Amino acid sequence: MLLIQDCVVPPPLHWPTPYGYETAVYLPIHWESDVMAASRQARQLAERLGFSRSAAYHIATAASELANNARLHAGGGWLYANALFDATGETVIGLELIVEDSGPGIADPELALTDGYSTGSGLGCGLPGVKRLMDAFSLEAVPSGGVRVRAIKWR
Amino acid sequence: MNTAFQRLQREHRAEILTDWLQHLAAAVDRHSPHPPGLDAQRESLFDAVLTTLAERPNAHDFMLDPDSELGRYLNRLVTEQARQLASPSETVGSLLALKQRLARALLALDLSSDAVVESLLWLDRLFDALSLFAFKAFVDIRERLITEQSLSLLELSTPVLKLWHQVLLLPLVGVIDTLRARQVTERLLEAIAEHEARVTILDLTGVPVLDTSVAQHLMKTIDAARLLGTRIVMTGISPEGAQTLTKLGIRFADVVSRATLRAGIAEALLIVERRIAPLNSERQL
Repeated sequence: MLLIQDCVVPPPLHWPTPYGYETAVYLPIHWESDVMAASRQARQLAERLGFSRSAAYHIATAASELANNARLHAGGGWLYANALFDATGETVIGLELIVEDSGPGIADPELALTDGYSTGSGLGCGLPGVKRLMDAFSLEAVPSGGVRVRAIKWR
Repeated sequence: MNTAFQRLQREHRAEILTDWLQHLAAAVDRHSPHPPGLDAQRESLFDAVLTTLAERPNAHDFMLDPDSELGRYLNRLVTEQARQLASPSETVGSLLALKQRLARALLALDLSSDAVVESLLWLDRLFDALSLFAFKAFVDIRERLITEQSLSLLELSTPVLKLWHQVLLLPLVGVIDTLRARQVTERLLEAIAEHEARVTILDLTGVPVLDTSVAQHLMKTIDAARLLGTRIVMTGISPEGAQTLTKLGIRFADVVSRATLRAGIAEALLIVERRIAPLNSERQL
């Protein structure tokens, strides 16, 4: 099994900027409608990559949760979803969601991953829920401030 | 005053106009139907442009006044094209086609090079202003159209149906954002009060993704509905949806839930102590 650290994240500048791409989706998140779009596009990407219906549903929900977090707690950010390939570069082995924001960051990551804990008025099950919905999950602070969440669903 | 454009207006008006209109008919109108009166509108715009070019008001910092004759003609033409869902590049492109023709006619006039440069610069400035104006007007109109459409969609998308005496059905279709959730709650509460509903069936078959924010909206709606004395029966949660909700750790405590709308209706009728029976059932008994 691949570890999440092994998958290299390309820097944002080199990412495909056109909205929707064969194997990747990049979307800025600012409004509620962007969250809906993120969820829809993540689901379409998952279906295009041959994920099962329920896996695509999980990915769509995770994308929606993460995008909503970025919008509510950090005032916006971006979502990047891309296919992960095996060494031959031909077989899709997973789908990775990356959501980064430029907000104040998370004071206590461990607490944020606890069920029922929320700084806002939410239900407090977004982040821990995403962790359960996806197969690999990491939460890290980015140097510029803000948070980068990566989550992978293996196929 | 610009004498070069005055000459164009006097001597070459008809030929430039015909050339432009023919070009538009071939390049632009091919894709979209040609509405009656379009040529007349284009001609009015053309004359307004030529008049402005010839009069040359504040050439150094020319701003197109939306209330001027030129501004009004341009606005009308752009509005029409935007409503007919033409692409903005066609609209601005037709302006630039006119600019190109005017520049060519200007060069053919055999003027001194100073006069040519000055006139070309003025032509440039005017068409920059026109293009900016047209683009902005186009986007404004499209945005208004989108707002209108989303409003009418919102109107359409939250019907509260009276299924039977004291039984309401609220089918939710599409994504549920804050605005819609609020509207759904309002409508539902009004309907519950009006019909004294004892049961409300909340059908989620058409909701694409159930995440925490949707669940939270639903919980608030359900709580408010309960305060009015109705019981909620949820239906239509897909197998994937159910699995996702449990993985997220969301619980709809004390809400009756059924997989299908059919089962939900049966449950609702049970609560109000009714049943659906064949017409001749009494005789059979």
